[in-house]
Amino acid sequence: MRIAMLLAAMLVAGTTAAQDKAPSGSAERGKKLFVDLACYSCHGTHAQGGGRGAEPPIPLGYPWAGFLGVLRKPRQDMPAYEEKLVSNKEAADLYAYFTAIRPAPAAKDLPLLRNF
Amino acid sequence: MSKEKSKTPDVNQESGLDRRTFLKGAAAAGAAAGAAMAAATKVAQAAEAKPAKPEGEANMRGNTFVSRPGSDFMLDVIKTLNIDYVASNPASSFRSLHESIVNYGGNRKPEFLTCMHEESSVGMAHGYAKASGKPMAILAHSSVGLQHAAMAVYNAWADRVPVLMFGGNGMNAAKRRPGVEWTHCVQDPAGLVRDFIKWDDQPASLQHFAESTVRAYKMMMSPPQEPVMITLDIDLQEEPIHEKNLSIPKLSLSAPPQADERALREAAKMLTAAQNPVIVADRCARSQEGVDALVKLAESLQCPVISTGNRMNFPSTHYLELSESRAGLIRNADVILMLEVQDPWGFLHSLGDPWKDVRRTAKPDVKVIQISFADFMMKSNYQDFQRFQPADLAISGDAQTSLAPLTDAIRRELSTTRAAELAGRADGMRKRYRDQKERMKTAATLGWEASPVSTARLCAEVWNAIKNENYSLAVSDRIAWPKRLWPTTKFHNMMGGSGAAGVGYSAPGAVGVALANRDKGILTVTLQPDGDLCYAPGVLWTAAHHKIPLLIVMYNNRGYVQEIMHLQRMAGLHRRDPKTAKIGTMIYDPEVDFARLAQAFGVWAEGPISDPNLLGPSLERALKVVKGGAPALVDVVCQLR
Repeated sequence: MRIAMLLAAMLVAGTTAAQDKAPSGSAERGKKLFVDLACYSCHGTHAQGGGRGAEPPIPLGYPWAGFLGVLRKPRQDMPAYEEKLVSNKEAADLYAYFTAIRPAPAAKDLPLLRNF
Repeated sequence: MSKEKSKTPDVNQESGLDRRTFLKGAAAAGAAAGAAMAAATKVAQAAEAKPAKPEGEANMRGNTFVSRPGSDFMLDVIKTLNIDYVASNPASSFRSLHESIVNYGGNRKPEFLTCMHEESSVGMAHGYAKASGKPMAILAHSSVGLQHAAMAVYNAWADRVPVLMFGGNGMNAAKRRPGVEWTHCVQDPAGLVRDFIKWDDQPASLQHFAESTVRAYKMMMSPPQEPVMITLDIDLQEEPIHEKNLSIPKLSLSAPPQADERALREAAKMLTAAQNPVIVADRCARSQEGVDALVKLAESLQCPVISTGNRMNFPSTHYLELSESRAGLIRNADVILMLEVQDPWGFLHSLGDPWKDVRRTAKPDVKVIQISFADFMMKSNYQDFQRFQPADLAISGDAQTSLAPLTDAIRRELSTTRAAELAGRADGMRKRYRDQKERMKTAATLGWEASPVSTARLCAEVWNAIKNENYSLAVSDRIAWPKRLWPTTKFHNMMGGSGAAGVGYSAPGAVGVALANRDKGILTVTLQPDGDLCYAPGVLWTAAHHKIPLLIVMYNNRGYVQEIMHLQRMAGLHRRDPKTAKIGTMIYDPEVDFARLAQAFGVWAEGPISDPNLLGPSLERALKVVKGGAPALVDVVCQLR
């Protein structure tokens, strides 16, 4: 499902593999923008994903073009963030922030989750 | 007093006297009580022989007594209904019944619960009824009190929960005290809530009160259960009992209507022939009996169950509990059995927001069987009945009562070969259940060490604190993680939610659940949203005052976060700045200190806690307080989502 969404997003954005190189961005600025835009209301304060069906903004390895496509023309209930609201440079900052997020520990390594 | 034809003592043997029939010539004010009583008796006899002086003459009020007011008889009626508690914010329009409860009735069965808001009274009654299986009464002014209570009444209506409401009112305008009493009286008291209660009446005599109250109780308890309201006339309460040969009708509850046997046979045929049947249970179970019956039904078909969370319908430890796999199950289903489902259309479709695009989420030819009271809900103003969804087989009846006969019909329908085929589904269901569980645990790791605390971490910490207890989660529909992770086997483990999503239910609802659980040895815990507690926090005082043990864990995300999403969507739709979505939706500057708020109401409290690693020890301390018989609150600052 996620792959299908990604492909669709890439098609929407009209990208090719050659265009799929992310511009450099600042993870620090991206984090601030994530908070300012209130992305956390669906995706979690630490971009970990929310409880109402929202995934983390991007899983590891999610390509820049797919991310930008979803940001500009989301398929589901997420608002569209056009360039006049989030510039490509700011989008690159968000992308840098998301790709810098540490993966979650495995459930088996968390004693409290062994209760379940 | 016996329930059938219980007689109230003849009023002529009492020293009763209309408090508003002011007489001259009685003994001097300030006499001893015994002498005054004797004097009142003489005065009463004199009153029969001689008409009262016209209004406006000087009276010696201190020597007029009503030793047997109508409200005593009203209490006799209420007592025959085995009501344990009456929740109320005190008010003059029912002062006589209030006094009868605490003196004539000894403040036992019912006991008066002091509330600080009428919405709290009804919210407590709502939670209590679900947890105890019996109703609580509430008292309120029929005007301003009922206006406060109205949203909570609507919640109870939408959640199909009984609440026995009494509203004080003065019908005789000539006897109303000038000023406030007029402001508080109303021609048609129940008119304010009639769209979302089952029945109401305004009795004009005590006999009328007895019959209407017993009738209201009987109607209220017959599924679909709903609130009812009886108006208490001030004069009827306060004046002496004039009526002779008063009697209290015997209460005999109606058996819940079971679905038609032939229709159940047809349902059994469709379900046993289905390749991918699914059971959707909404407000199906009312008790453990309903849970056990649904397990038998699901096992007879090896059929997965999706439970909405409005009731605890099915054990989360059972391999057929696949609620978190809802989308895939519905997409592939060829027959869906819907048990008292409030929104059948919503299970077969989705509606995008904000573009309102409809998508079918089920097969076009899926067969739908509904067992519900949908056709019994004969109110139209409030739209909680949801979008119309035709069924292939619509069966009117009580879902819980119909489960066992449906299971019997399925067993009769199954050939040996087909039974063996269905049994073959079990391994696949078990694997699906294990996969679902692992998926949930993996999702729970996201933001595990985050500060503020993630919702999944919060729920894992709370479970670790209560895992050895016989527990009840008082409000279980707002936060998904307990339902996803906690082992749930008993009806009382998860008590559902508000019904109509009217904010302000969680706190009083939890106190009501905790009161019902207090004497059963069940530990009550609640995950309390911050915005909800801000509506009427005085219920914390009620919990402290009445020593109601309740572990309150704040789910404090410092905002109305769902509303942020709505603002963002509108900004996106309007091509405008989404950064303003925090205006009017966040609770900050200043942040609310819920620990100090609770302490001010006499509740033990700690917090705010933002570090997840500090949460466990605080919960342990709070649990010790709760086990000692008092409420305790831990304020946890959480992720917004």
